[in-house]
Amino acid sequence: MLTYQTRRSILLLFLLLFGMAFVSAANSESADVGNCLLCHKYPGLSRVDEEGRFRLFYVNEDIFDKSVHTRVKCEDCHTDIKKIPHDTPKKVDCFVQCHIVEPSSEQKFSHKEVAKFLAASVHGEVAKQGNPKKHPEDLPSCKDCHDNPLYRPLSFFKRVRPGISETAMGRCRVCHKKDDFIFRFYNHVTTRLHKIRNPKNIAEVCARCHDDPELVKRHDLSTRAAYSYGETFHGKAAHFLDERIPDCLDCHVKRGESVHQMLSHNDPQSITYKTNKAKICANIECHPKASPKLADYKIHAEFNFEQGTAQYYFKIFFIALTGGVLLPMMGIMFLDVLRRLLPNAGLNRKK
Amino acid sequence: MKIFFSRLYLLAFLALTAGFIFLIWNLTFGEILEEYHQRKKATEIVKDREQKKKKREEITFQKVILEGDETVKHYLGYRILQEKRIEGHFHHIDFDVGPDKINYCIECHGDIPHDKVKGIRAFGNMHASFIACQTCHIRLEGVAKSGIFKWYDRTTGEIVASPVRAGVQPGTYKAKILPFETIDGEPQRIDTQDKIDFAREYEKNEQSLTEVQKSKAKKIIHKQVSKKPYTCADCHQREAPLLSFEDLGYPKHRIDTIVSTEVIGMIKNYTQLYIPRLLDPGFGQHQSKQ
Repeated sequence: MLTYQTRRSILLLFLLLFGMAFVSAANSESADVGNCLLCHKYPGLSRVDEEGRFRLFYVNEDIFDKSVHTRVKCEDCHTDIKKIPHDTPKKVDCFVQCHIVEPSSEQKFSHKEVAKFLAASVHGEVAKQGNPKKHPEDLPSCKDCHDNPLYRPLSFFKRVRPGISETAMGRCRVCHKKDDFIFRFYNHVTTRLHKIRNPKNIAEVCARCHDDPELVKRHDLSTRAAYSYGETFHGKAAHFLDERIPDCLDCHVKRGESVHQMLSHNDPQSITYKTNKAKICANIECHPKASPKLADYKIHAEFNFEQGTAQYYFKIFFIALTGGVLLPMMGIMFLDVLRRLLPNAGLNRKK
Repeated sequence: MKIFFSRLYLLAFLALTAGFIFLIWNLTFGEILEEYHQRKKATEIVKDREQKKKKREEITFQKVILEGDETVKHYLGYRILQEKRIEGHFHHIDFDVGPDKINYCIECHGDIPHDKVKGIRAFGNMHASFIACQTCHIRLEGVAKSGIFKWYDRTTGEIVASPVRAGVQPGTYKAKILPFETIDGEPQRIDTQDKIDFAREYEKNEQSLTEVQKSKAKKIIHKQVSKKPYTCADCHQREAPLLSFEDLGYPKHRIDTIVSTEVIGMIKNYTQLYIPRLLDPGFGQHQSKQ
């Protein structure tokens, strides 16, 4: 027969275990199961590493919760961290399998496919002929183009606008009871229905390499791609945050393929190959009735000495002509209005 | 009245003409000049990189994060997230604390000075972002010990109210904790103007001083610095923590976290992957989804 005290102890133990299970379950959806943010929520968590590089270990939880990786646990990417405090972890391998299960295949999720695409692309380290490319250290790895991608939800209710539609969320709540799930699902789907990055942001990412004078020279590139894009109508509109405007990826990747499958313009499979590029402009979302000749214009023209001396001087002549005519005209107008405003004013007027 | 309106009309027309002159200049000759400068800048960037490769620049948190010039704006549609860009950094940072213009130690030692002890160097630097160096590196004993610690504003240096409030992310304070010492029976802040002036004067004239003079000056600057600084466990304990967290404005749940088993256990190298979130439930969970 159990004594009163033993029964009370068992009851207390049961309550404690139940309580712990409840708390764990409540937090089970958070990515920070290991409570890594206990330390990593502090912005000052940093050091200078052995190579003299600044290393920041801070994670902004609020922003992380609005990123596509919000459900991925820290240790899913930082796989070698098994204890706290931990040693210097290995570099994150983006192609590792994580604990998220892809619902259609029920397989564990990974970015492995991207590695294949990237290897076969113009940014891959091996050329199509099989020989290694020069300066492989310049070729991009994941983090050169990607930081943690953030959700960019859209509302389609009545009209398309950025953000979340509370009305749509209300409809989801009818069947789905977990607000966290609805929020994440809504964000995931609507973010994927358009570009995860604004055209201006995409051009900025490409510019880090393609506008780098050293890199352009080293790889014998014919143009500063993002700069010359910025000189076009498309680039100007992108500068003013137009979302409809084509960015680098719209023209350099075949529609329906991953952006990582970008090919050289010399590759006959590439959408930018001379016989294919008419399809870029004439696609249904841009200029569907465009003549193939539209794609023949020099999109990445910088009008500089290197690309064409005649064009450069032609540009300078027209700029000078415009300025040379309009500026004196406006100057005369200014002086005329000034005289009308101050009819008796003068510097050396005799009384 | 007619004259007034006619003058007003002329004035507006004058401003419009001036505006057009400015616009036309910018789009024509200004554009040519801009292009010239960009070309020149590109050449300078290449030269600058080559020089940087030769001479490794001193890295400080302030230079990289707080005053870093490479900013990135993420256009998310519903908001624009602007943050400093750190090459190769995956996670977003987005915080603004402003540089510490008062602490004179960081002028020589930098603001990420801890690099020797592998296990705690990053933690040391983390604490240095909201605790003045003197708090840990000066052990006040005897009559000098006041037991008083206060927050000072990182920009003005003034003693301010506790920045630890609901809604403020831990460690993103625009203030730092500073010890007070007792002099002539009165508590006064440890970083007196005399000490600040002396250290800054030394830094200014360091190149012109002899080795003996340098050594003398350093001894004066570091006179109060203890060989054995306070350690993590001096604050992270329940019985008699060095800092009075309540006086520093920490709410009870934060104090519980600071002196919790997780933190104390971690300090004692308690090695365990899973640390339950019992004492810090719900921290940082987004209050509003949008």
